[in-house]
Order: sequence, then C-alpha cells, then structure tokens
Amino acid sequence: MQRIFQINGEEAECWLSHDGSEMVLNTPDGAIPCQLDPIGTPGGYVLRVRGRAQDVRLAVGPDATFVHLNGKTYAVRRVDPAERLAGNEGSAASDRLVAPMPGVVVSVNVKPGDQIEEGQPLLVIESMKLETSLIAPRGGVVAEIPFAEGDSFGLKATLALLAPEEE
Amino acid sequence: MTISKLLVANRGEIAARVLRTAKARGLATAVLRHTSEQEGPAHRIADEVVTIEGATPVVAYLDIPQIVEAAQRIGADAVHPGYGFLSENAAFVAALEKVGVTFVGPTSEVIDLMGDKIRARAFVEGRGFPVAPSAIEDDDPATFVERSRAVGYPLLIKPSAGGGGKGMRVVRDDSNLESEIETARREGERYFGDGRLFVECYIERPRHIEVQVMGDGQGNVVHFWERECSIQRRFQKIIEETPSPALTPEQRDEICETAAGIACAVNYRGAGTVEFIYAQDGSFYFLEMNTRLQVEHPVTEMVTGFDLVAEQLRIAAGEGLSAAQADIPQNGHSIELRICAEDATADFRPAIGDILLLDEPRGEAVRVDSGILGGGKVTTDFDPMLSKLIVHADDRAQAIARAREAVQNYVILGVTTNTGYLDAILAHPDFASGDVSTGFLAEQAETLTTPGKDVSDLLMAAAALSDERLVNDVMQIPEMHRKMGGWRN
Amino acid sequence: MRRIESQIDTNARDFKANYAAMSERLKEFHARQHAARFERPQRDIDRLARQNKLGVRERLKLLLDPGTPFLEFSTLAACREYDGVVPGAGVVTGIGIVQGREVAIHANDASVKGGAWYPHTVKKIVRLLDVALENRLPVVHICDSAGGFLPLQHGVFPDRYLGGRVFRNQVKLSQANIPQIAVVGGHCTAGGAYVPTLSDYNIIIEGTGAIFLGGPPLVKAATGEEVGVQELGGAVMHTSVSGTGDYRAATEEHAFSLAREIVSQWKRKPKTIIETAAFEEPYYDPKELYGIIPKNRKTQFDMREVLARMVDGSRFHEYQPYYGITMICGYAHIWGYKVGILANNGVLFNDSSLKAAHFIQLCNQNRTPLVFLQNITGYMVGREYEERGIAKDGAKMLMAQGGSVVPKFTVIANASYGAGNYGMCGRAWDARTLFMWPQAEIGVMGADQAANTMADVKIRQLQREGKELTEEEIAAIRDPVLEKFRRDVEAYTSTSELWDDGLLDPADTRNALGMSISASLNAPIDDPNYGIFRL
Repeated sequence: MQRIFQINGEEAECWLSHDGSEMVLNTPDGAIPCQLDPIGTPGGYVLRVRGRAQDVRLAVGPDATFVHLNGKTYAVRRVDPAERLAGNEGSAASDRLVAPMPGVVVSVNVKPGDQIEEGQPLLVIESMKLETSLIAPRGGVVAEIPFAEGDSFGLKATLALLAPEEE
Repeated sequence: MTISKLLVANRGEIAARVLRTAKARGLATAVLRHTSEQEGPAHRIADEVVTIEGATPVVAYLDIPQIVEAAQRIGADAVHPGYGFLSENAAFVAALEKVGVTFVGPTSEVIDLMGDKIRARAFVEGRGFPVAPSAIEDDDPATFVERSRAVGYPLLIKPSAGGGGKGMRVVRDDSNLESEIETARREGERYFGDGRLFVECYIERPRHIEVQVMGDGQGNVVHFWERECSIQRRFQKIIEETPSPALTPEQRDEICETAAGIACAVNYRGAGTVEFIYAQDGSFYFLEMNTRLQVEHPVTEMVTGFDLVAEQLRIAAGEGLSAAQADIPQNGHSIELRICAEDATADFRPAIGDILLLDEPRGEAVRVDSGILGGGKVTTDFDPMLSKLIVHADDRAQAIARAREAVQNYVILGVTTNTGYLDAILAHPDFASGDVSTGFLAEQAETLTTPGKDVSDLLMAAAALSDERLVNDVMQIPEMHRKMGGWRN
Repeated sequence: MRRIESQIDTNARDFKANYAAMSERLKEFHARQHAARFERPQRDIDRLARQNKLGVRERLKLLLDPGTPFLEFSTLAACREYDGVVPGAGVVTGIGIVQGREVAIHANDASVKGGAWYPHTVKKIVRLLDVALENRLPVVHICDSAGGFLPLQHGVFPDRYLGGRVFRNQVKLSQANIPQIAVVGGHCTAGGAYVPTLSDYNIIIEGTGAIFLGGPPLVKAATGEEVGVQELGGAVMHTSVSGTGDYRAATEEHAFSLAREIVSQWKRKPKTIIETAAFEEPYYDPKELYGIIPKNRKTQFDMREVLARMVDGSRFHEYQPYYGITMICGYAHIWGYKVGILANNGVLFNDSSLKAAHFIQLCNQNRTPLVFLQNITGYMVGREYEERGIAKDGAKMLMAQGGSVVPKFTVIANASYGAGNYGMCGRAWDARTLFMWPQAEIGVMGADQAANTMADVKIRQLQREGKELTEEEIAAIRDPVLEKFRRDVEAYTSTSELWDDGLLDPADTRNALGMSISASLNAPIDDPNYGIFRL
C-alpha cells in the first residue's frame, strides 16, 4: 500500500508490503525489511530495519507521525497520495464566477479592486428559496461585479470576475 | 505581615514552580485558570483554582481588577506574579496595596523607575555605575557631532525613529563620522520621514550577562552570582548558564558587586536581575533591571543551593534574607534549556499541536520545570515555551554532556519543539569553548539547522509500521499472495 | 498425507540431458515472453512519450500492490499471427492484487498499433471477462485504444464472441454485482466508449484520456462539425458537463492512486470455504521438473514425480493406487488449498476412465477443486476395448468431468491428443484456467500419426490409380504435411490462438495454480448435479 511522507520538507513515496514473514518497505532506493514491536512503555517500540534494532518512541497524530529516535525528534508528515498527485489542480481556478442557477443577488461583499483571499465570500445569491454564499475560487483582485443587490440573473450569468493572474 | 494564603497570578511552568515552594512552606495556595485554558501541572498542585474570564486568556491574565478581586474573594493575603503578565506592573502593585494584599516583589516606585529605560539608565549613570556611552541629537543638536565623537569608536548611528536596522551605520574612525551622520540622516528621512539621530557605543560580539540580586527592602542586598544568557534567538534567551565562561574571578566579583550596588541604591526589595552588556575587552555596561523572578532563575538555584522563591516569600513575609553574601556559594555549573514549541528550521515559527506523548528526562541533577501535561494541547494563546530543562554538574563540560543527554531523552511528541536545535547548540564547538556572543545563533543559523544523518528510511519505516490502517490493508492481502511476493509468470 | 518418495536420480545422464534440453527451450520461451512484454519499435515508444502517456507495464505497476504477484494470461497471444507485429495481441490481461483485493485486469497496450483491437485482442479481452464472470472477480479496465483494426473488421466485430461480447460481458458482470472500474488513459472511441461507460466507476486522465462515440474526424465527415478532442470527449467535459466520466485525474499517477482508492471502497465478499492446510513448500525442488520431462515426447514418465514438485510438502494421498493405474487420482494441497488431482500415467483404458469418473464425483461431493495434469495420447482403441465399452466408459468420465460444479484447473504438461483432451478438461470444458508447458503439444493426434494418416490416404489413392511411388516420392508427399502438423500442434500455436491462458515455465505451475484456485473461490460452489451416466 502506498504512502507519501514528508520528512524535513522532502517528500518521499513508499509502499508497504508483507512477504509472508515480514513487512517490507519499498522505497525508491529499494526494498527494506522492517518490523515494529511495542515494548510496553507508552509509545515505546523496537524498530528493526534491515535487521538492525533500535528503540524508538512514537506517536501518531492526525497529520503526522512523531518519532523520537536516537535522541532526536522528527515529524513525519503524511501526505494524501491522491491529493498530492493531483498536483496543482486547484490553482487553475477560473477567473469567472458563474451562476449555478437563475436567482437574485441578496448582498455583495466586495467591490472591484478589492484584494481577496481564496475562500472569501464574494456575494450571496438567492435561488429556489435558498441563500447561497459564492466564495472566491482563488486569491486575487476583484475585476468586476456585474450585478448589484436586488438584481436578478440567469443561469450561467457571470456574477464576479477576478483580474487575471500574472504568471 | 505573615502570609498564610498565596495566590499565584500566573500560569504554566512558573506557576507550578512557585506553588511547589509555597506548599512546601505550608502556605495555602491558589492559582488562576482562564475558562478556555487547558489543565496544566499548576492546577494539580494548587489547593484552589480560580477561574478568570476574558476575551482571550492573555487579556484575562492582565486584568488587574479581576485578579485583585479574585485574591480578595478567596482570602489570599499575598500574590506572587511569576514573570511576565503583571509581574512588573506598578498599577497592579498599587491596586493590591490598596486592598491590603501583599505583592511578592518590589515596591511600585522601584518598578516604575526600572520600567522606564531612560530614567533607569539616568539613575544608574547618576550613581556612578557604568552605562554604554551614547549621544542623543535631541538633547542638544548643536553639539551632536562633538558628543558623538566623545562616545568613541566604533560607534553606531541610528535614526531616532528607526527600526529594523534601516539607516543604521557603524563608524569605525573619525575620518568619516560627519559624512556618515549625513548619510544616516538622509536615509532616516527617506525611510521614516524623520532625520533625527542618536549615537551609541558599538559593542562588537557582545555577551549578555546578568546578576541575580535579592534585597530585603531594609537596605540589605545580596547577589546570587551571574548568569550568562548570550544564546538568544530573536532577542529571546533559549540557553542560560552559570557561571559565565567569559568572566575571570575578578571580573565576576566586579560585575556582581556592581549589580548589588545598583540594587542597594534603590533599596531593593525582593528578587531582581541586573542585566549587563559585556564587551569582548571585558568592559560591561548596565542594560536594564528586571524587577521580578527571571525565567532562568533555576540555574542560580542549582549552583547556590538556595530556593529563590522561598527567599521571595520570606522577604514578602518580612522575615528578611536567609543568608549573608558570604554564605552564598557558586558550586559547579548549571545550564538551562528553554524547551519551546517552535520550528527552528522555519525562522522559529511557533508550532501548535496535541501533546501525544510526554516523557521528561529524569536523573541525578536533572530538573524539569514544566508547564505541560501529556494529552494537552499547545496553542498560540501563550508563549511557545513549554518547559525548562535544568542540569547541574561539577564543571561546564560535564554540565554540557549532562544537558545533551537529558535533552536527547526529552520526549515530546505531537508538536514540533526545539529540542534538536538546543542539542545542536550544545554540540557546537564554539559553545563548548564558551566563545559566543548574542549574535551566535544568527551567525551559525545554517550549521545549527543542518539536518543530521539521513534517517529517512527509518522514519518512513516507523511511520508506515505505526499506521494501523496501512498495516491492516497490507495484512488484508491474502497470505498466499503475500508469500508469493512480486512473482510474475 | 504421505510424501511421495521420488525415484529420480538427479545425477543420472538422462536427467541431465533432459534438464539441458528443457533449459534450452525455456530460455527461448522466456526470451519470447520478454520480447512480447517489453520490446517495441522505437517509434512506438517515442509516440507514447510524445503523447505524455505511460506504457502499460508502468501503469500496471502503479495499479498493483507492490510485492504481490500478477498472474498474466496469454502473453504470447497472436505470436503466430499478423507477422508477429501484434505482441500479446496488444492487450495485457491477468489477475492481480489491488488494495488487497483480487481483481481481473484488462489493459490496452498502446505501444502495439496504438492499442487497436485485432481479432486476437478481442478474443483475449473476452476470455479475461469470462474469467472475471466465472470467478466473480472485480475488473479494472485500463483503456487506451485506437479502436477496432478496420482492415480485419470481420474478425473483430460481428460474431457472437467478438467485439460485442466484451460489452455483453461487462453487463453480465454488473448484473452479477461484480464491480468494474475503468481508467481512461487514451481514447475510447465508438464501441470502446462503452468500456468506461459500462463500468461502475471511471476516471479520465486530463489531456490524454477521451471518450466519444465518434472522434473528431468522424464527426467532421458525418456532420461537418469541427471540434477538438478535449471539447468533444475530454476529461473536463465528461466530468463536469456530460457526467459520462466520474473522476478526472491530473496525471497518470493521480489516476491510479484514485483507482486504488476507489477499489478500496469495494466491499470484500467472503470467499467460498474449502479445505485448507498450512502452507508447505514442495519437498522436492520444482526446478527438477526440467530433468523429469523427457527430451523425447514419446518417452513415458511418472506423473507422480511431477506432482512431487508441485504440491505442498510433496504430499499426496493416492486414490485406488492399484486400479486403473494409467490414471493417477488423489488429494494434495497447493498453497494450502486442498485439491483433487487427476494426472495421466499412460493411455486411458476402461478401468482408468471409470476410476477418474468415480474420483471426480468424490471431489464434487466434498467440494474439492479439481486439477487436471495432462499427458494424454487418448483413450485406448482396438476391438477388445470397444467390446469392453471404452466409448461408454469415456462418456462416463466426460459426464462426470463436464458436469462438475467444483472449479477445475488444467495444465497441459506434455501431450494433449484426441478425446483424452476432452476427458482431461481441455479448453472446451470450462477450466477456470488452462496453462500449457512450452514443450507440450495439442492436437487430434500426434503430428507423426496425423501426417502418416494423411500421407497414407494420398498414397493409397495414387496406388489405386496404378502409380508405384518411390521412397522419395512418398517423402515428398509426407514431409510437408508432417512439417505443417508439427508446427500446428506446438504450444506456441495453441497460445497464439488463445486455446490456453498462456504458457508456463513448469516451475511456475504451483504459483499459477495457487493464484487460480484462490481467484476461483470468489465464486460460490453449487450443489453437485449430473446428467445421465451410460452404465
């Protein structure tokens, strides 16, 4: 099974497998037989890698595994492979915010020229008796807000336009 | 003026440390806790925990009326302020005095005087103690150049309105003093819209040395020797030790007696610290006086054998000093490491997280003053310092060795800490030889944060094997297929 | 179970000679497999790189759990067709492990004629989907195909087991609640568009993957509309507008990571339980098989020696050891799975046929999968045997074998001639997998007999016309026929035509069977039921 870890800012991909008698960590540098056995103390283990045993303390956090090894503490961040491999899919967000359905503008929170951050609510629309907050798909500068409060708009109308990003 | 119940108006490791001594002295004890604050070691030691409120925890700990009211409500007859928060707040001292609660510390007048850096400096200079030569243009613009020349070389020209190093110029001899003053003025105008300047003596590779003093407010002052605090990052100390490796016995006596003299001059009451800037040539100048217990006081306790908090409480209770100067020894060597939740490789950015596993080092002459508990959370609500690790040994080399062993065995998992960085400092040859200055960490930034031996395969193995879901997934592969391995027909 | 006591002397001259001959054959076999898997003209490799696509083998590596086996089917399919320029018939199929689950994999090889479907390609895909259906294996399709190879459209499109069968099988898989996922890493045009759309889940790789009924040139020709690949059927359009695509992946790595994540959502269904034992490696080294299989096909050898190098601990419980001795029957374990083994030790007589029929029924009764190890020249012929009812006894064996409900697995170890092929669960008899050793032969009869029979017919015809033939003239008639037959019965012909699921190095047989048996247990085993036995 695949995992991507980040150690000291460097990402490393590895796969764990089991050859019937022991665990094997498959790294770009080769296959490493390994084993981890608890020793009874909280978070205490014996880590065997390539046949060499050493004491470690470790704790598994929500996003990282913390390892105390040889007098040093390390954080091994766990990266979601699907997310990591998706690359910069999010950064190609469009400059244009398009109406998902026809409706009315309830409120406008920004004006042209405003510096905005990704996820910031730009305007609130009402349609089908529901108010929806439209959020910025990326950070940048507002170029245009074509509709004002109370205006109605049709499907796929442009509700906000961001200034194009500079490369 | 006996004290029977003490409120500690602080939190974290210092609250715990003060409470321990107070309890040992038989006092009833209480400590504060903000509504959103997690349980810490202090809350387990105190007899009573007083809940305080405020928009943020820090606001609550600075809320004088609320804390004074709390002290009265629980019937505390004394308040120990710890360090930080209200420890050097004259208004707090005055408010306590007004309701008849003893403040464990100096008078509000002394706090006021020492809290004003310019007044303090003038006071000290006026009593004949050494301060760094300087010249302020505003004092008398007409004689600024003359007065600057009198400061001596090298000197540093700074814009009065400045900051961040902009417009600062070092002048090493007289030939270009005037042209540099003009350049600095133009830069000051350009950067800050203000061309006024001041000049001070430029001390190359200075050290920060401070002296612990204690006065009874009756004219008796003793010192508890010096502490060397040159290991600083972002102007904050992270390693302190005593004795200072820089001082000869003569210099030591001189600097300690100077400090005691300054304390005596203000008829100091309680624990205080006089800080000096120490130049490579052995000269030293008064920097400021801290009118409270310092973070790094434990190293002093380790070499003198005195409990400084006990001394503070004695003095506050009117019992006076427990020792004369001659009875205060300086035995062996002590080092303190400040364990902070921060990322030394990312400009010391504070780190947050859950403390998943905490295992403090133990052993002979190893002391941990901790403000955290396993299972707790580290947030950005407070200072990133989690605890202090203090060791003592017969000499400096042994103390360094003991500190390294202890910090290597200090297990804090779940939040990034500076333990590895502290160990790297201790391991540095310049630190071992004592050849450091306040610029040491900045100068050695790269060396100190260079990752050591690559153990990423071990770390990956540990992370993978402790990932229960991953291991479970792997073991779900039918045993036969696992045994066949990567077979291909 | 007792260990088989091998009588083989590995220092004997025969053994060594056999070993050398077999090693030579296997060297060629492995070289051919390697070529079919990895060797491609440079321009095809360059084209893939230009298109920013990974090769099919790299894709499999991203898909499969590392450190797990992959049982590849019919690597040498089409090796004797199309002048050999369609290695593997342009598609990779097999059984592998994804997120701990056994899955059947169908992956187009775009380095072979752009992944175009040739007649043998279709046959290989249909066979894989049959395997998936029979064994209830989830399927991962990796789509990257130029579409049907038009010059051979009659061999690709119209008949019952041609192109349409691929999609028909997908529907049947879905009906049987067997999940499928398609990763679209190239074009899926026309019929090919139904592979991802009939899958439960599909992922389209941005930039390279596309799905459409008609590609841009066809659209232009049909309606005059000018439209680009991405607009017409790219990842973004299908995942946001048409809903034809479920997920879009930024890269190949992303696609397979997503695919793995999706596979890990699939419910693991309990497998059929059969008798098992703890694993035990064979006591005798499987590589010794090389010295056991005679250089000369006509030389008889004891199949027990083969079993001893294939089954767990070399242990075998033989049924009726003294009766019908040309048919070895008995129980053994392969990778812990208990199986009933039928292995030929000579021609099939009445008694050996009856013994086989009885043993097959025992295995069906106690739900023990069957392994057929073929080295069979046929049922015995001649007046005496006909009088004893050899055809009737053979029919009993066929009825028992063909009516079996337990999974069956066949290995053609040496000879597979005539009705013996039928009795011993040849291709037509629904073995879950059927593998062949590279030196084995398959045919109605041996090449020599067939050539002689045909030559005799011709010679007698000429004699009736009063022609006396010289030895040379007889040879001139017989030799070309013999040569053709010799080639036709070769394992390479069989595997080229997909009469088997691939050739095996004999030493790999144990693993191939283990993988096959394990896969088969994803399907339930029905209660036994039989037709009429002619008694």
